[in-house]
Amino acid sequence: MSTTDTHTTGALPANEKVHLGPLATRLKGLGLGAGLVCLAAALVWGLMLGDDMRRFMHSYLLAFTYFLSFALGGLFFVLLHHLVGATWSVVVRRLAEILTGAFPVLFLLMLGIVIPLWLGNESLYLWSDHDIVEQDHLLHAKAGYLNAPFFAIRMLIYFALWLALSRYFLKRSVEQDTSGDPALSDKMKRLSAPAMILYAVTTAWAAFDLLMSLAPHWFSTIFGVYYFAGCALSVYALLAIMSYALQRSGRLTSAISVEHYQDLGKMTNAFTLFWAYIGFSQFMLIWAANIPEESVFYRPRMFTDWKWVSLALIILHFCIPFVGMMSRHVKRNPPLLALWCVYMLAVHLLDLYWLVMPSYSPDKVVVHPIDLLCLAGMGGLFLFGALGVAGSAKLLPVRDPRLSGSLTFINQ
Amino acid sequence: MHDNEQKPGGRTEEKFYGLLAEFDSPGALVEAAAHVRDAGYRKWDCHSPFPIHGIDPAMGIRPTILPVIVFGAGMTGTALALLMQWWMNAWEWQWIVSGKPFNSLPQQIPIAFELTVLLAGVTTFMGLWALNKLPQAWHPLFKKDRFYKVSDDGFFLAVESDDPRFDRAETERLLREAGATAIEEVRYVTSPEMRRVPRPIMAFIVVTAVLALVPFAFIAKWRNSHSDKPHYHIVPNMDFQEFSGAQAPNDVFPDGRASRAPVEGTVAHGELKADDHFYRGIADGQFARSFPSQVEISKDTMDRGRERFTIYCTPCHGEAGEGNGMVHARAQAVGATATGWVQPSNLTDATYVKQPHGQIFNTISNGIRTMPAYGSQISEADRWAIVLYVRALQRAKNASIEDVPPEKRPAIK
Repeated sequence: MSTTDTHTTGALPANEKVHLGPLATRLKGLGLGAGLVCLAAALVWGLMLGDDMRRFMHSYLLAFTYFLSFALGGLFFVLLHHLVGATWSVVVRRLAEILTGAFPVLFLLMLGIVIPLWLGNESLYLWSDHDIVEQDHLLHAKAGYLNAPFFAIRMLIYFALWLALSRYFLKRSVEQDTSGDPALSDKMKRLSAPAMILYAVTTAWAAFDLLMSLAPHWFSTIFGVYYFAGCALSVYALLAIMSYALQRSGRLTSAISVEHYQDLGKMTNAFTLFWAYIGFSQFMLIWAANIPEESVFYRPRMFTDWKWVSLALIILHFCIPFVGMMSRHVKRNPPLLALWCVYMLAVHLLDLYWLVMPSYSPDKVVVHPIDLLCLAGMGGLFLFGALGVAGSAKLLPVRDPRLSGSLTFINQ
Repeated sequence: MHDNEQKPGGRTEEKFYGLLAEFDSPGALVEAAAHVRDAGYRKWDCHSPFPIHGIDPAMGIRPTILPVIVFGAGMTGTALALLMQWWMNAWEWQWIVSGKPFNSLPQQIPIAFELTVLLAGVTTFMGLWALNKLPQAWHPLFKKDRFYKVSDDGFFLAVESDDPRFDRAETERLLREAGATAIEEVRYVTSPEMRRVPRPIMAFIVVTAVLALVPFAFIAKWRNSHSDKPHYHIVPNMDFQEFSGAQAPNDVFPDGRASRAPVEGTVAHGELKADDHFYRGIADGQFARSFPSQVEISKDTMDRGRERFTIYCTPCHGEAGEGNGMVHARAQAVGATATGWVQPSNLTDATYVKQPHGQIFNTISNGIRTMPAYGSQISEADRWAIVLYVRALQRAKNASIEDVPPEKRPAIK
């Protein structure tokens, strides 16, 4: 963005603003306040509906998986950065690390799903209903895996791992800001490979447990990758939006250039295609084979009002943004790119809505204010969580050994 | 090459290509490029061992058109794949695959995707070569020993003498100013003979082209000759597939048969045959007195009926349908009439003239007396065409002079 010679010398100017400063405190307070109020309002409204909390729980799960995908995307970005020894992405890596700071809050929010399940609330997952499981051969056979205690244990394992990994990488990275020790980069690089494997397995399994088990008769081995596609897509979109917002507020103005925007745009565009590729791969095999226990997932999504959402996803989540973001001129125009990225986050939400809500209402598409309250509430708490952990850190790894390479990075 | 240059008699001419300037670093080359660009030169180029960041804007190179070409090629691939699959599956050779429609978008998408990628990828590669005017087997700069460093550690800028702004002294001064460490004139000798393709390369091309024809020659020979040896099985497990034939035993199923009966209540595609009029010749519980709506009364149908009649009916009923075909002639010749041979019916008799269309259709379908059923051999549409032709035969046999158009009557009399 700037015309300073940062991009030829590879050194940050002394007057570069690399702190959120008092803004962090303000945003944290706003996030916590709005988050608690909105979630409480959603809870009360959900209780008043008198549907055994079914609507609330589905909205809660939707919002939870939406913001979980941001944090998981952030973790993926950090791991990938170290794994491949990337240079270009150093200037935006801290932003991804800040996103992973939300894992502790997400852990607490996860309890909002596990605890009711343990207390015997059967409103979210069909497999948690004993009467149904007893009469259903398939669910009976799956009960050894799909049961409340084991579900809770698995969630604890996933979150323990994500918390540990995000903490490890954030801590080393912030430590390097003061010490400038290149050995820290090596440490992170060494851990990144096994961490990536663990990340892949846990993310896929979390998607199976949280989302796929909403249709417990159904199974799709690629489903974990489908959810991951949304995680990766949202993190690149988020980084572009965050970079643009920070630069508008006068921060990181020299560090992040159009070259970085172009790369973030490329990755967003690539994962738009990746999402469509995985989604279609999942659909085509099931459609071709047409076996009842597989096609049960697509039945409501193809033959009820949900078919319009399915169709909208193909057009809005793939056709339009794929062509719209294809040109380099779009990617090198930060405000325009940020706008596209906001759009991508919106259609990513639509995608999750399409995954979650047909299990609440298989025939009709019903949007309820509780959905928005849960999203606003969880979004506020996500903001609070991320900034609470990493809000005081610098906005870019100022003494990373590869920083100068990232500052002088040029696409050609 | 060197031999050619000294060959006497050739119309050699010396040409002045331009000035070659060397720079000692990539950065110096970028700066010099900006200099030459600002001086307004058009025909010049930079040469370096590796791609240099920022040289494109420094040289004033406009953004390439390649992405647009590649996008067009990709879209062509998509359209081509969809058209091809529609043509193959839904038009030219309709074939049901796992109960899906003939023209089914989901099963076309993988092919469409692949062809999009293929055409876009190949176009990127070929377009890159074409837009860069590659391959260039020869270039005047190759004449300079100094230029060999371009694949190692040399950074060069060459300005062509064809450039409208080129001026021997002025251009040299500009390059010197821009920081060139050495400047050389590039002159080369050329003649029509030198431009000829060298003999070994020409020989290679000719030999390769001839050899490339050999497989086709063999294919042509094989296609046009007979052999009593068994043919080659290039893909044996496609030629000999492990599937059970009809009526074969098979342990997989409890009834021990490989053939599966259709699920009760199901009807195979096109086998419902609910229309009594068309499929059985019955309308309102009686033999139909009209042709069904599917049958078009036309010259085409009549010709088709005549052809089918000639194939299936004439052996017994004769060319004119009078019951005196070859089979009957033969039966008489061998004396079968004495042992109970009954002459085939004369279709032009009043009995048959009076029969409803549907009854004749029914007789063809199911047979009558000693006549076998033809329903399994002749399709419904063809049976109706035969009925139409039989009607024509009857009309011809029982015609009066009034049936002939007035202007043709004198010819008959």
